[in-house]
Parts: sequence; C-alpha cells; structure tokens
Amino acid sequence: MRSVSQRLLISVTLLLLLSFGMMAVVLEARFRRMAEHSLGDLLDAQMVALIASAEIDGGGHIVPRFAEAESRLNTPGSGLYAAVREGSSAPYWRSPSSVGSVMDFGPQLPPGVRDFRYITDARGARLAAVSLGVQWEDDADGKTFTVATDMAPYDEQLARFRRGLFSGFAIVALLLLVALAALLRWAVGPMRRLAVQIRAVERGERDQLDTNWPTELDGVVTNLNTLLKAERNRIARYRDTLGNLAHSLKTPLAVLRASFSPGAPGAEQVNAQVDRMSAIVEHQLRRAATSGGSSVGRHAVELLPIAQDLRSALLKVHGRKDFTLGIGIAPELQFVGDRDDLTEALGNLMDNASKWCRAQVRVSASLQDAASAAQKLLIVVEDDGPGVPPADRPRVLERGARADEHTPGHGLGLAMVRDMAELYGGRLEIGESGLGGARVELRLPGRMR
Amino acid sequence: MRVLVVEDESAIREALQRDLIAAGFSVDVAADGEEGLYAGLEYPVDVAVIDLGLPKLPGLQLIRKLRAGEKRFPILILTARDRWQDKVEGLDAGADDYVAKPFHFEEVLARLQALLRRSGGWASSSLACGPVVLDTRAQTVTVEGNAVDLTTFEYRILEHLMLKAGDVISKTDLTEQLYEQDFERDSNVIEVFIGRLRRKLDPDDRIKPIETLRGRGYRFALARNAS
Repeated sequence: MRSVSQRLLISVTLLLLLSFGMMAVVLEARFRRMAEHSLGDLLDAQMVALIASAEIDGGGHIVPRFAEAESRLNTPGSGLYAAVREGSSAPYWRSPSSVGSVMDFGPQLPPGVRDFRYITDARGARLAAVSLGVQWEDDADGKTFTVATDMAPYDEQLARFRRGLFSGFAIVALLLLVALAALLRWAVGPMRRLAVQIRAVERGERDQLDTNWPTELDGVVTNLNTLLKAERNRIARYRDTLGNLAHSLKTPLAVLRASFSPGAPGAEQVNAQVDRMSAIVEHQLRRAATSGGSSVGRHAVELLPIAQDLRSALLKVHGRKDFTLGIGIAPELQFVGDRDDLTEALGNLMDNASKWCRAQVRVSASLQDAASAAQKLLIVVEDDGPGVPPADRPRVLERGARADEHTPGHGLGLAMVRDMAELYGGRLEIGESGLGGARVELRLPGRMR
Repeated sequence: MRVLVVEDESAIREALQRDLIAAGFSVDVAADGEEGLYAGLEYPVDVAVIDLGLPKLPGLQLIRKLRAGEKRFPILILTARDRWQDKVEGLDAGADDYVAKPFHFEEVLARLQALLRRSGGWASSSLACGPVVLDTRAQTVTVEGNAVDLTTFEYRILEHLMLKAGDVISKTDLTEQLYEQDFERDSNVIEVFIGRLRRKLDPDDRIKPIETLRGRGYRFALARNAS
C-alpha cells in the first residue's frame, strides 16, 4: 500500500504534466498561427509593391520593376522569390533570385483570388507563397503574381519559441513539485510521527502517545490513549480475577483434603480427585492468564533481574540437592512483552531443569539479529540430567492436552511455556545439551537496551 | 520442635495442627497476620508455616516483619497463588520454601523437616568476612569482588560457617545442613566439600578462610566485618 503522501505526489505530478503539456500545445499552435499570419501580411506587402511597380516592357509584357529596387529579389537563393505567369504554368517573368531554385509556384488563379500555400524549392526546403490573380483593363488574359519566402528563419523562430516555452514550463513545474513535496512532508509530518509512536507502543517502548497533535488528529489520538489505558487495565483486572478465582477454588480443595487425615477411610480417593481438580484449575487458569500476543500490554522487560530472582528462589526450593545454577545473560538484553508471562515461562523452564539436573543448570540468552522480530531473543536453559529422548519431545510439548493427563513435571510446564511462546509468535524447542541433558530453547520478541 | 501455623482457613489450620501434633511437633496457631506476628516475635518458634493470603496483615508483610525483627527461624509458605511471580516474591521476602495449595500433609512435613536442619533466613542481605562476601538474597559469593561459582551445598556450608564465624562447627552440624535424614553419612563427604570450598575461595592459598580443628570440626577464620 502506498503512503498518502506518495499517492498525492504521484497524482499531482501527473496532473501537472498533463495541464502544462496541454497549455504548451495550445500556446504553440496559437503562436504558429500568429506567425503565419504575419508572414502572410509580409508577403502581401511585397505583392502590393510588386504589382504597383508593374510596367509594360518592350515586348508588350507587363513586368514588375520593383525587383530592381529590392536587392533580395536579385540575389540567387536569397530566400525571397517572385514570379508572374500568364496562361501556362511556367512564368514568363521570374525574379533573378528564383532562377534555378524554384520550379513550381503553385496553380494559376482567376483574377481577384488570393492563395496562401507552402511550396518546396529545388532543395526540398519549405517556402511560404502568396499568389494573386490580377487582370488589367486592357489585358485579355489574367496574370498570376506570386511572392514566396523561405521558411527557414521563421521555422527557427518557432523552434526557439518552443524551446523557450517548454524549458520555462519544465522549470516552473519542477519548482512546483519540489514545493509540493516539501509542503506534503510538512503537512503529513504529524501522521508520520503518530505512526512512529504507535510502533513504539507496539514494541513496548512507550505506554502512551503524546498529547500535542493537530486538531484533525487530536481526537483519534485521545481515543487511542484511552483505549490503550482501558486495555491495560482490563488485562490487569482480568489477571487479578483469574488469580482470585484460582485462589478461591484451591482453598476449598485444600480444606477438602485437610478434612481427610491420611489413612482415613476414603482419603485416598478424595486425594486423587483433589489432585486432579487442582491440576485442571492450575492449567486452565494459568493459560488464560497469559497475556501473550496482546501488543498493548507489552513493555521492554530486562531479562537478567528476572533470571536472578528466579535463581535465588529455585536454589531455596531445590535446597535438598547439590547443584549449580549458572546464569550467563547480558544486562542489556530485554524481552518485549509482559513481565509475568516471562517470569512464568522462565520459572517453569528453570524449575524443570533444576528438578532433572544431576549437578548443573545453565541459563543463557542472546539476541539473534537474523531472526524475525518475534523470535529475536533466544533463551537457552540446559541441564546435565537425563534429557528428553527425541521420540518423547512432541508429546512433551503437546498443546491442548488435558491437564489431568499430564503427570506433574516436565510435561505440563513445557506445554504451558510453548503456549505462551506461540502467543507471542515465538517458539519452544527441545534438544540435547552439551552438558549431557536437555537443552530447551525459547525464542521470544526481544531487543538490546 | 515448636512450629507456628498461621492460616486463616480454620479447617486447614486445625488439620495442620492435628497432623503436626501427631508428627511430634508442639504447635502454636494464629488465624490472622497480626496474631501470627505477635506469636512469631514472642514465642521461641523453631519453624513457621505461613499462608500468604491472610487477613489483617498479608503473609508477605508478616514475613518481612519477622525478618526485620531478627527472627531467623525457617519459614514455609502455603499459597494458592502459585504463579512464579508470587513464589519469587515470597521467597525474596525471607521465606525458605513453599508448598502449593491444595497440599499433601506429607509434603508439608517433609519440607518442614528439611528446613529445620538448615539455618533460616535473615534480614540483612549480605554477610561479609574479610574479602569474602556472601549475598544471601541472590545466593552469590564474591572474593575480593570476583564471583565464585558454588554449588548449593558448598554455598550452604559456607553460609553456615560464615554465620557463625569464629565458632567451631562440628561435622555433624554441617552434615545436618545438607541432608534431611540422619543417614549414616560418610564423614568424608564434608571433608570433600570443605576441600572444594577452599580451592574455590582461595586458589592461591593466601586467605586461608577455613581452619580445620582436628577431631572437633571447622572454623571460619575471618572475622565478620562491622556493617
């Protein structure tokens, strides 16, 4: 989709070219007609002078004398030619200038008829010719007088005019376009700024849009801000509600279990059902509480502090085991999304690894520049435990499996992390670690601070 | 062993009391946070079980106040909210372990017994003896500012020694820090850990942080820095 300013620029350019082109064509035609007109007037004047100077010569022919005064008519090839014809088409008199260069002066004319036309000389050059049919009182046959002039100077004048016209128009059009582009840039500037800010909101770099906008955008931006705020509140409220729901469902379950002391009749069955219900509550509500794809709730969250907090929590929780939990994460690395989602996913992965490792868990992260935006941040959690055999990997990651089908441990946690990753457009993969156990790769949207 | 149970749901509180007494504990109970704080500060409690969703004083604040009051007994959290965020907050506030509701009593008992062996948490977040600094919150150790990579057990032994810097600690005492049951542990295990700790903390044998007292145990030789 082209941008608004591109569309405007393209359409205005076309319009400008069209109108200037049309103007140029009309002006040029107009100028040509005016030039022809004045050329005709010039030839008419020559014609009048020629006819006025006509006298009867020794052979009884009417011959113009004017030619003797006009030097151009006497110079061969000068560009000004004249001829008088009578009866036949070959002239009985012609100006010395035309000898050898002009063959055909056009048709004979009846008296009183004027004709303007273009003829060609011997070299093929265009000439403008005016002919007039004349009849003297004592002259039986009419005479046809013709004056012709070379078009070259006139054509050159026309070309000069055309060049001037077109280059002038081109310069004006170019200036107009440049001015228009600058104008558009200025006018569309706020829209561009708005687009940049919206992208920043999507990337989690800012919470709200600025408040200072042109009146046309002001309403939209205010509404967007309200929407962003409402959406954020809605997510928080939703999550609170789910948390409370989990809490209020699990407390009665705990009461139920507590009412049957171990070994009491029926305790085993009640316990099994309580476990099942509690697993379902946990699985479904946790899934629902993942904010995931919603671009509104996104922030840039620093990865290292979360991993460190989880590390100290897990060292306490798995305190009965002798192992190291190493973290190799640059402090500048950030996850773009919801803090709770990341804590939950990373907590599950690190907890699993701590549970299954023999003596070593390693958490590392890096930014994959070549990856798509939703998978830039690569988090790797590996351990030296038994690992997950390739055949079991799809089952472990299986989505939509019912919570009560899973045994607590690797499975349930990983499926949940995978759900969360996919909501963000990310990915979860299991492989083998150089440490000897599982290597879980989590790819999420991320960036460098 | 005296255990404090702070839980507002009476059925759970009573069941815990009943089962803990049956397991040989003497039990104090409190039904809200304020009662729990009073009991925790006033009675000689060895270990506490605290629900996070308490009336009057929320569980997290109760734990923080107990730790601020220099109470170091281990604390086990009971929680129905078990997102990692909640667990991290609880453990960071000073608790030592958690059990998610609905729990099996056997699970609570096992965790309590494990916790009783260990030293509990404390309010101050760092423990410094000479160049050796222990960040009890992040569970990291630095020597002269350089991070030292310790396993959980090595860390716990070091923590115990530094907490009682200057005192002689017996092998049995150290063994109890690591293992929940009185297994007939080969006493060589502790020697191995001490040896590893010495190599990791003092590779050039300059600082000599841990002394061996033949037949009696070990002593952390560097005095606690005045904070």
